[in-house]
Amino acid sequence: MTTVALKAKDYKSGVKPIWCPGCGHFAVLAAITRALAYLELPKEQVALISGIGCSSRLPAYVDSFGFHGLHGRALPLATGLKAARPELNVLVAGGDGDGFSIGGNHFLHACRRNIDLTYIAMDNRVYGMTKGQASPTTAPDWAESKLTPHGTGVRRFQPAAIALAAGATFIARGYSGDPKGLTRMLVEAITHPGFSFLHVLSPCITFRPEQRSWKTEVHPFAAGPYDEPVEAAREIQADDGLGLGILYAEHLPVWPPHYQPSGTLAEVEREFLI
Amino acid sequence: MSNVLAGEISSLAEFLAHALEMEVESAERYAELADNMEVHNNLQVAMLFRRLAVEGDAHAEQVTRRCATVELPNIAPWAFKWSSPDGPESPAMEDLHYLMSRRQALELALHNEVRGLAFYAEVADRSPNPKVRQLAGEMAREEDAHVAMLKSWLSREYDDGTAPLGDLDPPNMPE
Repeated sequence: MTTVALKAKDYKSGVKPIWCPGCGHFAVLAAITRALAYLELPKEQVALISGIGCSSRLPAYVDSFGFHGLHGRALPLATGLKAARPELNVLVAGGDGDGFSIGGNHFLHACRRNIDLTYIAMDNRVYGMTKGQASPTTAPDWAESKLTPHGTGVRRFQPAAIALAAGATFIARGYSGDPKGLTRMLVEAITHPGFSFLHVLSPCITFRPEQRSWKTEVHPFAAGPYDEPVEAAREIQADDGLGLGILYAEHLPVWPPHYQPSGTLAEVEREFLI
Repeated sequence: MSNVLAGEISSLAEFLAHALEMEVESAERYAELADNMEVHNNLQVAMLFRRLAVEGDAHAEQVTRRCATVELPNIAPWAFKWSSPDGPESPAMEDLHYLMSRRQALELALHNEVRGLAFYAEVADRSPNPKVRQLAGEMAREEDAHVAMLKSWLSREYDDGTAPLGDLDPPNMPE
């Protein structure tokens, strides 16, 4: 039997996305399906896990295994799945609120655990699904929400810097307006052994229409990818949040560690004999 | 004419792979946009995008027939030689708005069709391979007809100067 190579379109589920026309998430969806087609991954070997939010609707739109989980809990769900089914390619998708606020603690530990997941955080610096409140990545002086009429006054969460500090072994930033570059980064992230963090700038044209200007403001990182965290940290310190590219990639042992058995089952059972 | 081509296309197979990708992606994009506009109840624009998707499918079918006897190279999604983020004929998703009018949608489609034409014309002008130049020139003339069709649709588009579509429950309502 010959197998026919799947095209990007074949990875789409047929469910119509309800995102606002113009939303950056469409390009992320297209980049994911293109990356899966490029890597020729069988649909049954892919699982897409998410939490809650506009971007977390992704599993419904991709024809693979999927789980639309609890708010902020996509990473622990994905970790459990990968531990139980290590042969699967597990992708995790979500937004800045889901991943860095309610799911912030899971983000830290997923980074340091270095389990082989690809985490795609689609950042539009706003809670869009609940009609436009400030998120952890919103600038402190953003005053467009009635909930924070003078801005939050709280400094931005810096996803790339925090991922590096927490021990992520692959850190990249893409932009939905650059679907070719984003697809390439996704391919690199999926094939990276260990936890890969792909921070995607994905404008919310409804609640943050000014983000349309990202098109002219994004720029490549000055250098990279680094395999040395100190150099990557230096680059991040100079980052204005709109730098694009693979910032850091290092090969370190992937969780779970593969221990050599210290004895046979019969030997273990003998330990329990009274 | 805009500079759509970002590299040299020197073989017939490479050219056809680009043409096929551009036409298929454009047809799929219009179908996606039609779905999206239906979801957001802008049915006039949805119908227009649906028609453009059908036209795009027909163009893609024409290119597919031309590819029948050629073994196409497998080009990585990021390695296509156009300067735009997506194929030159595909509308950028961020240019959409759920309240856009038919006229705005047609202007967008025309803009992209002109870029498709520019792609073929630039290959016809710049390829070092005479066979590629000849075929690209032929396809540029076909694309020119598509541009003319869209211009004619646009000229017939009724515009009474009234306000664009409104939304009684806009997304920026106070919480």
